[in-house]
Amino acid sequence: MMAKLDATVIYETIVTVFLAFWFLITIICQFRNTLLSNFFKHKVDVFGLIPLWTFFAPHPGKRDYHLLYRDKITEDNYSEWQEIDITEERSFWSWLWNPEKRDKKILSDVVQSLVTMIPAYRKEELSLNLLMFSMPYIIVLHAVSQCQKQSKDVYRQFMLAETSGYQKETNPSLVLLSTFHQI
Amino acid sequence: MISFNNTTQLILLILSVGVFISALEYIKKIQVFSDNGLLSWNVMQLRWNKQDQKPLLKPLSKLFNERGLAALFIIRCLLIISLLFFPLQSAMGWVLVSLLGISLLTSSLVTYYGSDGSDQMTMLIIITLIICNLPGLSSRRLTEIGLWFIGLQACLSYTVAGIAKLISSEWRGATAIKDVFSTKTYGSKKATLFLQKYPAANGFLCWNVMIMETLFPLCLFLPWPYAMVFLIWGFTFHFFTALIMGLNSFFWAFMATYPALYFINHQMPWHLF
Repeated sequence: MMAKLDATVIYETIVTVFLAFWFLITIICQFRNTLLSNFFKHKVDVFGLIPLWTFFAPHPGKRDYHLLYRDKITEDNYSEWQEIDITEERSFWSWLWNPEKRDKKILSDVVQSLVTMIPAYRKEELSLNLLMFSMPYIIVLHAVSQCQKQSKDVYRQFMLAETSGYQKETNPSLVLLSTFHQI
Repeated sequence: MISFNNTTQLILLILSVGVFISALEYIKKIQVFSDNGLLSWNVMQLRWNKQDQKPLLKPLSKLFNERGLAALFIIRCLLIISLLFFPLQSAMGWVLVSLLGISLLTSSLVTYYGSDGSDQMTMLIIITLIICNLPGLSSRRLTEIGLWFIGLQACLSYTVAGIAKLISSEWRGATAIKDVFSTKTYGSKKATLFLQKYPAANGFLCWNVMIMETLFPLCLFLPWPYAMVFLIWGFTFHFFTALIMGLNSFFWAFMATYPALYFINHQMPWHLF
């Protein structure tokens, strides 16, 4: 009985300390760019257990991103730009059942990651080429590579553009134009 | 069938609805995990570029394809249905919730992109329920500590979100909601037109969200009839974000924390007045 009680007390203490530590780390990681928060988020948190609660703040997303691609037919001849739809048209029942948000959010997240990374890579001209080896770039390239091809050997280029959604207050602008990749 | 007059059970029930719907949504969009899909494991495993991590990931290659993950999500749905018949406090119930937690942790390795705050809150709640209700080692006090953790994380979530908005010029300038709702990603044409027609609504909505989120932890310290104001606000807030922005999973994940808030409020030795 005493041994069981001790085990219960010990377990209770361990779990309480763990939960307190988890809560403290959550608070620390709300401040994104500290050394400690970067260490926990990028080196330790494999499963995404440290939540980020800064929803739509401090900079709310107010642009829609568009992913387009085209193929090189000959050296001077390119296909028309084709757009991959990454925004969802919601139905009446989307408040309850919204499977469309899954793939749209994936591409939207990836594009947002890429957009966030570009300024850092742009600081040095040579480093912009290294962007091609980043995870978001590879995922976007993988996504556009899966779209229909006219022939077996295709050279494909993708473009990221941004618009101001339904308000249309500003013109669409170019965010990133890739090189032609053989796919 | 289990009874729902237990706080922990109620949290699990509400959360399970959201997890069930999310699993079905993933099943509907399972092609996303195919070799040609956006979350193809061929690409996602590039997150781990250290040689010593690769042997650990090798077995996952067999699971992280369209068929493997479809099976995982179906198993997840079956686990949730089974939980209707076994309370968490029973050994079988705990095993079922633990398997549910393992399935969530496993799929999180491949759904790095596309997951959101609701997925994080779901994992947090499930893991807390698992470790605080371990048969044979947990106690009533530990279960209550788990409820405190869930409730405090919910309060932290709202407060951090509120403070992050308060320090934002776009939110203080009352343009944030109009801007977000005007995007096709998170908005709608009807909402955009409404806010263009009634610009004062922008200011009201922005400040309402900022103030209520920042002050949300007061729901723990106010007498219950007043604390309910925050919970009713939260219900309304999450319902309308689901309706307008399509963020349906947030509703269930955050509503699941509300029984914990009720528990903490009634455990408080004192209230503000």
